[in-house]
Amino acid sequence: MRRIFVLFVIGCFLVSAAAFAAERYPDRIITDVVVWAAGGGTDVCNRVVMAEMEKYLGVKINVVNMTGGVSGSIGMNHVYSQPHDGYTLCGLSESCVTAGVQGGFDKGMKVWDFFIIGGSPDVVSVPAGSPYKSLEELIEAAKKNPGAIKAGASAAGSIHHLNLLALEKGTGADFNFIPYPGSAPAQNAALTGEVEVVVTSVAEQSQLIRAGQFRPLAVLIPDAFTIDSITIPSAFDFYPQLKEYLPISQAIGFAVPADVPEERKAVLREAFKKAIESETIQKWAKENFYILSGKTGEEAKKEFLWLESLFSWTLWELGAAEINPETLGIPKPEELPR
Amino acid sequence: MVSALTNLALFFNELLLMLRAPFNIALLFGSVALGIFFGAAPGLTATLGVALLTTLTYRMSTEVAILALLGMYVGAIYGGSYSSILINIPGTAAAAATAMDGYPLACQGKAGKALGITTTSSFIGTLVGMIFVAAFTPLICRIALNFTSFEFFLLAFFGIMISGTLGSEDLAYKGWISGFLGLFLACMGRDQLQFYPRFTFGIPELDGGIDVVPALIGAFGIPQIIEVLRKEVVPLVFQEVRRVTPELKELLRHLPTAIRSALIGVGIGAIPGVGEDIAAWTAYGVAKNASKHPERYGKGEIDGVVASESANNACIGGAIIPLLSLGIPGSPPAAMLLGALLLHGVQPGPMLTIDHPTFIPKVTAALFLNAFGMFVVGMLLVKQVIKLLKIPQVILMAIVGVLCVIGSYAIGLRIFNLYLMLPVGLLAYCLTKMKYPIAPLVIGVILGPMADANLRRALMVSGGSFLPIFTRPVALVLFLATVFMAVSQVSWVKSQLKRLRKKVPLLSEEERYILAQPNRKG
Repeated sequence: MRRIFVLFVIGCFLVSAAAFAAERYPDRIITDVVVWAAGGGTDVCNRVVMAEMEKYLGVKINVVNMTGGVSGSIGMNHVYSQPHDGYTLCGLSESCVTAGVQGGFDKGMKVWDFFIIGGSPDVVSVPAGSPYKSLEELIEAAKKNPGAIKAGASAAGSIHHLNLLALEKGTGADFNFIPYPGSAPAQNAALTGEVEVVVTSVAEQSQLIRAGQFRPLAVLIPDAFTIDSITIPSAFDFYPQLKEYLPISQAIGFAVPADVPEERKAVLREAFKKAIESETIQKWAKENFYILSGKTGEEAKKEFLWLESLFSWTLWELGAAEINPETLGIPKPEELPR
Repeated sequence: MVSALTNLALFFNELLLMLRAPFNIALLFGSVALGIFFGAAPGLTATLGVALLTTLTYRMSTEVAILALLGMYVGAIYGGSYSSILINIPGTAAAAATAMDGYPLACQGKAGKALGITTTSSFIGTLVGMIFVAAFTPLICRIALNFTSFEFFLLAFFGIMISGTLGSEDLAYKGWISGFLGLFLACMGRDQLQFYPRFTFGIPELDGGIDVVPALIGAFGIPQIIEVLRKEVVPLVFQEVRRVTPELKELLRHLPTAIRSALIGVGIGAIPGVGEDIAAWTAYGVAKNASKHPERYGKGEIDGVVASESANNACIGGAIIPLLSLGIPGSPPAAMLLGALLLHGVQPGPMLTIDHPTFIPKVTAALFLNAFGMFVVGMLLVKQVIKLLKIPQVILMAIVGVLCVIGSYAIGLRIFNLYLMLPVGLLAYCLTKMKYPIAPLVIGVILGPMADANLRRALMVSGGSFLPIFTRPVALVLFLATVFMAVSQVSWVKSQLKRLRKKVPLLSEEERYILAQPNRKG
């Protein structure tokens, strides 16, 4: 009896040692901590992609939400405090890059490695009854009467505000920026006639554009964008100099701490790439007006560092940042390669 | 007409589909009961409940998820009245107006009656809201689109002013002072337009401003706990209740108030971003002003409870209207609902009826079922929760104290919320001692950001001019209503109004006699 027991214990040791030697990743549940609320763009993208990645990784991925702090800092701090073993991911978006200058996450974006799912492009629209039929007419009117045309977008320093600022810089037009607490209230204000122009994402406007309540003038990306039978031209076609300032695209995705073992990151990259290329995700993106990116590694990091620099310095210049980006070692956007 | 009939047929079709699965029925009662718990527990709100349930329903089918989420929403808005009536601490901001008359009723030993009528009113309110979702969505939307920043500001200001006139024992000014204090507290933190820190004293935790939930719990909870422990409060009377469903005669007497308040609730709910709390206060204020006995309000008037409870539940239907037809949520919990819909691949907006033709009938069917679910669960619960009053108040308050601490912490898992809740509570206690009403303070904190950001945005849009207040019809009506309400509190105007009322008797002597009779059966 005793001998059997001893043999059993030895057997157990041997099996676990063998398992350890092979070091399979992943061999247990992965948790994806999304720093924004359930149902938001970041949350939805993460859930859809994680459901697909589960198939390739062979383990379940739990998506949880941990909101709060500034720019999602509570969730980011939580993930960073967990073991850097690739079992805790952080679902985030481009808006998280300001956590540093807002005093929520002093380590900056350089400590992460990113997996960018994509985003929905920004579009400049006017209500259906507006006199402006094209982007050129709108820009001409704004140049003739600087500051007279009211443009609505979400709060100062948000991605849509930065797109509006870039549009102004690239065309020389001057709008009266009216900030709203989010894209939905800004679009509502355009419907009520409080503002004459609105800049939000195609995904957010798709219903109103398809219903004919909004007239989309131009998307703020290099290529035209099609919704159903409506083709929205690119603003770059009218104002080529815009490419100096644009595109500033949404970057929804997830991240792991940069010092997660390289072979584990490779496993994640592989599964992520397969997920993005899968038919499910491609179809989902098309139906929801997202442009998929699929960037990982150096490429993704470069994009996030650039966004961090752009957002941080813009907020600092607006007087809306808590901490000087210089003290955090964030270079100015001009100093970074695009 | 034809489309209305088709919609009706679709509605019944969806209703039957939902009822066919036993799982759905279990889910219906389960989520309503969970909602009531979320509503009744101070610190757990409808918004939080819907948010938490959203992740749990991710893998369910869309209609089942809607059934569960709306059940949570309806239950939580109704459940807030439990703690308002039984312990004078509103479980949610939406139920703050219910405490005004609900708690005095409990002190008179009529807690069972109050909870029974609350359940019925919430039921009526939810149904009225549902009817509006089904029948008047396009109309309501057109009205809601008249609200620009000026109107939002005036509405928020009106809400603060009206809550100020309702609560004060001696002078209306005290209510307003309390309301403005709340407004000042709401100014703390980053401003919403330029993101500039105001009154944050370099404390990063204050960046996000004053959280509503800890302020609500502190302001209502702490004074109540202190007063009970100091034995300043009349001990509550426990009476065995045989019957919680109100008698038909009694129901009919309160029906006009219930319907009117429900209509107010739907209207306010339909305005984007304005929630159940303002709906309840406005309905309460209108009921008080329309009543022949305004002096009874605040001392245990059933009509007061009816007004606030039918309005806050009707607001749910109202809030869903702009959500479905414009993609703009009408209230904070509806914003969570929007997230849940997006998660299920349903993008609400003007194209919803084309993309998902059966979606609106689905929502109305779910709302209808939830109204019944709430009524059944509510009526079963009332007899049980009333037993809470058997627990000596001193012991109950110790438990409530712990719950207050947990509730404040749970909302953002921030210890800072406790440092916020306690001073606000002590401030509120001092104010109560000086006979300043507390409700306007909380309403000020809740509506402050809306009033502040919208006024400034409105002035940005108008180039600094106040003229649009007088040229925009909705703004003018809101402005005049606010001015009238303020002026009517001046004692000279008050006496003139009273004289005017006496000259025109609205009721015959006989009717007055009947109304003056105390309710013998209650």
